[in-house]
Amino acid sequence: MNVQALLQMNTIFISILIESLPFILLGVLISGIIQIFVSEEMIAKIIPKNPILSVLSAIGAGVFFLACECGIVPITRRLIAKGVPLSAAIAFMLSAPILNPIVLFSTYIAFGNSWSMVFYRGGIAFAVVLIIAFILSFQFKTNQLKQEHIEHIQIHHHKLTFKDKITGMFKHSIEEFFSVGKYLIIGALLAAAIQTFLKTSLLLEIGQGKLSGNAVMMALSYVMSLCSQADAFVASSFRSTFSPSSLVAFLVFGAMFDIKNTIMLLGTFKTKFVLCLMAYIFISVLGLTLLFIS
Amino acid sequence: MGRLFILLGLTFLFMHLHASGNISKYINMEYSYVSQIAIYILAIFTLMGSYLYFKEGNQEEGVDCQCGHDHSRENKKWKRNLTYFLYFIPILTGLFLPVATMDSNIVEKKGFHFPVYEDSDEYSQHQFLQPDTSLYYGKDDYLTLMDNSLKGLVDRDSLQLTDENYLNDLEAIYYSPGKFTGKQITLTGFSYNSDELAKNQVFLFRFGVIHCVADSGVFGMLIEFPEGMHPKNDEWYSVTGELESIYYQPFKKTIPLLKVSSHSKIAEPDDPYVYRQY
Repeated sequence: MNVQALLQMNTIFISILIESLPFILLGVLISGIIQIFVSEEMIAKIIPKNPILSVLSAIGAGVFFLACECGIVPITRRLIAKGVPLSAAIAFMLSAPILNPIVLFSTYIAFGNSWSMVFYRGGIAFAVVLIIAFILSFQFKTNQLKQEHIEHIQIHHHKLTFKDKITGMFKHSIEEFFSVGKYLIIGALLAAAIQTFLKTSLLLEIGQGKLSGNAVMMALSYVMSLCSQADAFVASSFRSTFSPSSLVAFLVFGAMFDIKNTIMLLGTFKTKFVLCLMAYIFISVLGLTLLFIS
Repeated sequence: MGRLFILLGLTFLFMHLHASGNISKYINMEYSYVSQIAIYILAIFTLMGSYLYFKEGNQEEGVDCQCGHDHSRENKKWKRNLTYFLYFIPILTGLFLPVATMDSNIVEKKGFHFPVYEDSDEYSQHQFLQPDTSLYYGKDDYLTLMDNSLKGLVDRDSLQLTDENYLNDLEAIYYSPGKFTGKQITLTGFSYNSDELAKNQVFLFRFGVIHCVADSGVFGMLIEFPEGMHPKNDEWYSVTGELESIYYQPFKKTIPLLKVSSHSKIAEPDDPYVYRQY
């Protein structure tokens, strides 16, 4: 370890923050708006009673919601606290970073203006989200938020002026920013340290076989902590050495889970829930990509 | 009060990066508007934060704001201070530490690979190593796309890889190295040694940035300098030579090789990176 390497780590750390902080800020702003302007009654009205329909509409909302895998965490937490069922909220959280038009378009560009990777990425992601939502709705009956986030639900019976609402919204957003920001910083530090000091290229030597190749690429996407709008370009540089199946695994798993957002999720949800979620996503991405893509 | 300083510090950090121009050493400037949005939001948060702070007094911790947060979770003073310290890390290191350039140390950690498609036979055309790769190309559209960008290039006898066309032209060369064999190519990059190579052979790389430095990777070419020359790592060169190919054992593939006819050692460019353009 030398000074130059430490400075490089700091440069990577700052660049990750410059890239993700704007999305966190937008996320907490939206979370603030939901907190003040959207009531539990409105949520209850919008979300279909049928669990399958509620998950599908959550995915639909995710498609049109431009967010990355960290910016979405505070919004998801707010939605759950407002009474959105866990399975629907997680479906929203997992689909927004992958299934949105910008990410799919960048995938199209990265793979040389080709639609096939876009379809594989979108299709596998959609299937994974459905499977996860299905399992979650059976396994977890409570909201799984950490105890400290379970809030006394306060309905504003008394009329607030618009000005009160606006200041309340910002107050909440700033509050939320400080409660998720620290996890982002820890996550970015970790990811930068791994890029600078750990020889991730060794991972690639583990294997390019059918099972090993997919697992290796998923592990790689996890430790690289790429933004879902940039990961397709990185994946495309592997196309001469890794199979399409393993690249889709990289593109789906990495956009749902990475070091940065694991730290953020651990700060938001119960540990057991986060570990279960990660295991389910890992297994379903691995299984689906091996089954359906050569 | 600590929070106000953090918000102020983050706003200042982002503004400073933009004002000093240093932000281009962290991100691809095509996406600079994203961090400009961050400046506005942070500035508003800072203003609102101070308004709330001075209107309601110093009660940012343990206040019963109507959002229903349980503020008591950070009631331990040392814990709160530790959290604040965390936020000051990027503010301080971002403002006061010099920006580092990615170099061979990062190449060694991240590894590198070339998008070679063509088989060792340099006269074969579009013969892919793995039959699977046809999946990537929406049948013909990729071929026509690449062929279009090839058309302009293959007719020329010499290619000059500049900052702007570096990534595009390299992709064209790796896509169809056979078509470029024998051509004069000029490029710039830093040297990177690999154990599997002869002493006068090095890779000449540049870091290509997609969004930010964290997602960058190296792009470049294997270079053969005249006999007896042995560049160290991280020396910048501008070289011109003729394109040939060589079997590279670690990749088990034939990759392009530039036999250098003229070269000059240069200082690190003002902007060491090349950027992905849409």
